[in-house]
Amino acid sequence: MKFWGVRLASILGAVAFCFLLEGVAQGQSSFVQRLFVLAGLYVTLAVSLNLINGITGQFSIGHAAFYQVGAYTAGFCASRFFAQLNLPPAAWLLLMMITSAITAGLAGLLVGLPSLRLKGDYLAIVTLGFGEIIRIFAQNQEALGGAYGLTVAPKIQYVWAAWLLAILCIAVCRNLLRTAHGLPFLAVREDEIASSAMGVNVTQTKVVAFVLGSMFAGAAGAILAHFESFVSPPMFTMDVSFTIVTMVVLGGTGSITGSVLAAILLFYLPEKMRDFTNIPLSGVAAAFVAISAAVFAIRWVMQNFHGSAKDRAIRYLGIVVGALVIWFISKALLGNVPSLKENIDGSKLRMVVFSITLVVLMLLRPQGMLGHHEFSWDWVRSKFGKPTVKEATA
Amino acid sequence: MNIQFSWKHGLIALAVAAAIGCNGGDSTATTPTVENKGTEATPAAAGRKAPTAEGNKVEGDVIKVGIVGSLTGDQKPWGEDSVEGAKMAVEELNAAGGINGKKVELITGDSTSKAEGAKTAAEKLISDGVIGIIGEVASGHTIQIAKSAFDKGVPVVAIGATKTDLTQEGTHVSRVCYIDDFQGPVMAKFAYEELGLRKVALMTDNKQPYSQYLSKTFGDKFKALGGTIVKEAFYESGQTQFSGQITELKAETPDGLFLSGYFTEVGPIAQQVRQAGLKDVKLMGGDGWDSPQLLTSGGDAILGSFFCNHYNNKEDRPAVKTFLDAYKKGHAGKEPGTTMAALGYDATKLMLEALKKAKSLDSKSLIEAINETENFAGVSGTITLKGFNGNPPKRALVVEVRPQSEGFQVFRKAYEADEIK
Amino acid sequence: MTVLPDLLAGLEFSTLPQQLVNGILLGAIYALIALGYTMVYGVLKLINFAHGEVFMLGAYTALFTSWSFGFTQAGSRQDSSPGILIAMLIVSMTVCGFVGVLIERFAYRPMRSQPRIASLITAIGISLLLQYGGQLFLPSSPPPSISDKVNPFKGNIEIPLKPADSALLAQAEQLKAKVTSTKAAYDEQLKSEKDSFNLSPVGKGLRTASQDAERDYRNAIDKANKDALVITLPQGQVIMLVTTVVLMIILTWLVMKTTAGRAMRAASLDFDAASLMGINVNTVIAFTFFIGSALAGAGAMMNASFLGGTKIDTFFGMLPGVKAFVAAVLGGIGNIPGAVLGGILMGLAETMVIWAGYGNYKDAIAFIVLIVVLLVKPGGLLGSNKVEKV
Repeated sequence: MKFWGVRLASILGAVAFCFLLEGVAQGQSSFVQRLFVLAGLYVTLAVSLNLINGITGQFSIGHAAFYQVGAYTAGFCASRFFAQLNLPPAAWLLLMMITSAITAGLAGLLVGLPSLRLKGDYLAIVTLGFGEIIRIFAQNQEALGGAYGLTVAPKIQYVWAAWLLAILCIAVCRNLLRTAHGLPFLAVREDEIASSAMGVNVTQTKVVAFVLGSMFAGAAGAILAHFESFVSPPMFTMDVSFTIVTMVVLGGTGSITGSVLAAILLFYLPEKMRDFTNIPLSGVAAAFVAISAAVFAIRWVMQNFHGSAKDRAIRYLGIVVGALVIWFISKALLGNVPSLKENIDGSKLRMVVFSITLVVLMLLRPQGMLGHHEFSWDWVRSKFGKPTVKEATA
Repeated sequence: MNIQFSWKHGLIALAVAAAIGCNGGDSTATTPTVENKGTEATPAAAGRKAPTAEGNKVEGDVIKVGIVGSLTGDQKPWGEDSVEGAKMAVEELNAAGGINGKKVELITGDSTSKAEGAKTAAEKLISDGVIGIIGEVASGHTIQIAKSAFDKGVPVVAIGATKTDLTQEGTHVSRVCYIDDFQGPVMAKFAYEELGLRKVALMTDNKQPYSQYLSKTFGDKFKALGGTIVKEAFYESGQTQFSGQITELKAETPDGLFLSGYFTEVGPIAQQVRQAGLKDVKLMGGDGWDSPQLLTSGGDAILGSFFCNHYNNKEDRPAVKTFLDAYKKGHAGKEPGTTMAALGYDATKLMLEALKKAKSLDSKSLIEAINETENFAGVSGTITLKGFNGNPPKRALVVEVRPQSEGFQVFRKAYEADEIK
Repeated sequence: MTVLPDLLAGLEFSTLPQQLVNGILLGAIYALIALGYTMVYGVLKLINFAHGEVFMLGAYTALFTSWSFGFTQAGSRQDSSPGILIAMLIVSMTVCGFVGVLIERFAYRPMRSQPRIASLITAIGISLLLQYGGQLFLPSSPPPSISDKVNPFKGNIEIPLKPADSALLAQAEQLKAKVTSTKAAYDEQLKSEKDSFNLSPVGKGLRTASQDAERDYRNAIDKANKDALVITLPQGQVIMLVTTVVLMIILTWLVMKTTAGRAMRAASLDFDAASLMGINVNTVIAFTFFIGSALAGAGAMMNASFLGGTKIDTFFGMLPGVKAFVAAVLGGIGNIPGAVLGGILMGLAETMVIWAGYGNYKDAIAFIVLIVVLLVKPGGLLGSNKVEKV
């Protein structure tokens, strides 16, 4: 009984969270609403790719393909059938999410099958290639709108839908890992041959991971199509796939919580840059110098200093202060270089900041933000020594 | 989650998918009239819906106007130029005292050369309180801006978006450039009547919707005039070697080649076409050719080719002269890199002029005022929007590419809007 | 079985030889870039995603070198010589080589003890940093290109396989007289017209006559040439191919015959054992990066100056980078002859798809070929097909 009680409470908690988010978003501008939805979609994408990459250890770098299959399925169906079926938007969106999940799942099956024979980088390039094939195919189909893309008729902008999907995805992955059914996935990641010797059906495990992962990406695609009320091939280029892989690795391969955090961070950071205007170029160059110096100093401390945690923290603090000093000095020096005297807008720096974040985080924490760790209430309790509410598991 | 379960689910999913597949086939068969609207170019007729939302109002002493352009990514050359043009227009107005004593502030948003980036940027601008948005250069991006702006009742003046059905998004969208349905046919008419070409091959940049559509409108008109399109070859922007495509075109022995892409690829194509032995073939293109850089990338091979443009830098009209002088003054004597600087300037100035005439300083009045624009003397020609559903009838100039010493683009023939169709 | 003849009917066999040659010329460049991927992979087992950006920097270096020789965009200098080209090549190769070493030193070496996927993400990060950071500092708006005057080799090498129909050609030549006479009449009329595009009715008539005569003449020539078969080899591209082959021979010699090459091979076989045998693996890896990146620099310089007017922006390396990566995998990544084979095959596949009339799918077909090959030979064409043992 207690088990079901917790279950029910978590589900209610999740639903409540989604509608709370919807409520918060409603009061905000459409720009903020958009960020909410896209963040939710990226969480879904990152967590579902984590199932393939992190948990099952199949190196896929073409996740945007399934996202695209889902988005185009929804877009195509909406333009053909929405007017006839006359469903309420929420029901239609649900129907589309299921349909898109199925088509994307089939695509996942298609890609998952070669994964039986291919390993590592070879599999990676096949998934990448599949993404490109799908994109070029869509670009050349009149019925799919060619390079312009497809207008999706009903605009359905529910923040809750994106986050409900994200939470569903998180819940599925988490429960998979918590139960005996998830062990084969981990076993395949660690050692295929050994796990096959132990009676794990490697083929089935890999294919299920691919199909499940792509189904969630497909459903996310359906939400995207209806949210943007538009789909076009450039929305699903290789960069999107790379971004998703990056989120997974940066969060910590295999860690669901990590994927969620990295997805939100990597999505939010570049968008935040839009708020800054007129940044002096000399300051940017100086920051680059200071960050590089700090990164290598921190790495040196990490490798060569073996004192207590407190001493270590003091040294890190010293490095940060040192970096600020370096920044200040080099900014003054670089200010004299004529080509650095201009000012630029933060929006031009979005991808630069994104890429520097990637490199710096990888250099300082190669195992990802959370490594293999997961967020759990037990961990919180151990930190604070207090009993916590059990309901909000999700 | 149970693995066995997921397998069963998978089977069910397959069955459902099959069922849906059959169903889909049936319904399309029975109702062939249901077409998807995204791909069909609806006739540029009336019936545009007006946005119902209130839009933004000017608060305080600053009038905020937004511009969306590709400041990063592969369309940076055009995006950056359009923003430069817009900045000039705003500076001019502020120097002249602003509107009702209020200064105008131009807020830029980066579309990152992507459609969804354009949408994000537009929504950010709207939430920042701009009363109107200028942009974008590419049609695919502008559609997204127009959709977001419609929901919020904010006007959009497109800069270089030539896709025909763009202004059907609503009464809030208008543009300062001509449309593809005009530009393609102009070049087809010029090729058939003036150059006497009968067999033309097309070369399309398959990654650019602009190029896909321009090739189509050119081909349709050229065939209607009685010519033949012998072949259409495809490439993607970023490609550097075109020998495969050129060999195929050469086999068809065309007398003209229509290159509908941007100058960045047109230059190398021209050089490689000439080297492959197609010495006499006339090369033609659209406004994507306009950049002095074409002379470097095309070298001697591009000289004597023709393209369609919005204005000509050697024109005597005062608007052109003042614009070019001001631009050179602000940019160390350099001419604009692409034609988008002039169009960005026009779009911004048109919006600001409309704002002066608007009943009050808010989006709703601004939309009305923009749609009332008559005989606005822009750099790219006289623009009238009243009664034209956002698509101003404009002149198109066919220019010939000549060496820098002769002034890069030399005016050859002008086509008025009513000469086509 | 009517499908096959139908398919074959749509094919133009007269262009096939030329397209095969085009494919090889195109493939040579892919091969040159693929070598960089494959060498780094061979030693470090790392997909160097930033390799395409090294290629991009090579193109910029070549551009700046050409500017320093006076071939600025205004086109001030007209004469060029092979010496200038060689200088551009050497500067590009050297700069790229050092850029490669720097990237390795600061971005990859710290990651060497970490999981491979972490270094992969660093590689993606470096690649994005060079693409977008480059946009801040390098000229990219409008994208510059190397002046066409830099390349003095503008001619073609023509290999006639089958001559044109001489009887028809003679017939066509008879039409030439009319072309000259109508042209002369039109030119005479032009003197009294003020603008050649706003003619009087008389002028228009004469122009039409001249255009018609010229068209007849050209159609006749085309008809005579219809069965002729000539393979045209642009000199610039032949030079590219020759340079590529020479560089590959040097590379083979370097890897197979020198001490450094032996160390490189040892490191790629077993990293730890090599270092135990007294090989300084850091030097070997830096050396590998230098060579691989220098080859990319050579490819970039030739791509930017011999093809004519190629635009250079910070995304210049993306497309060739991905294609070369595919080529490396196709041939079996880590295998040097495999990269060359893969590159040539990619080039051929691309032109063959264009030849077959599916040019709009050419980039997709390249990947389809790759997937099919990998399904048959999972280690690539020349890659080792090791069976994993417990």
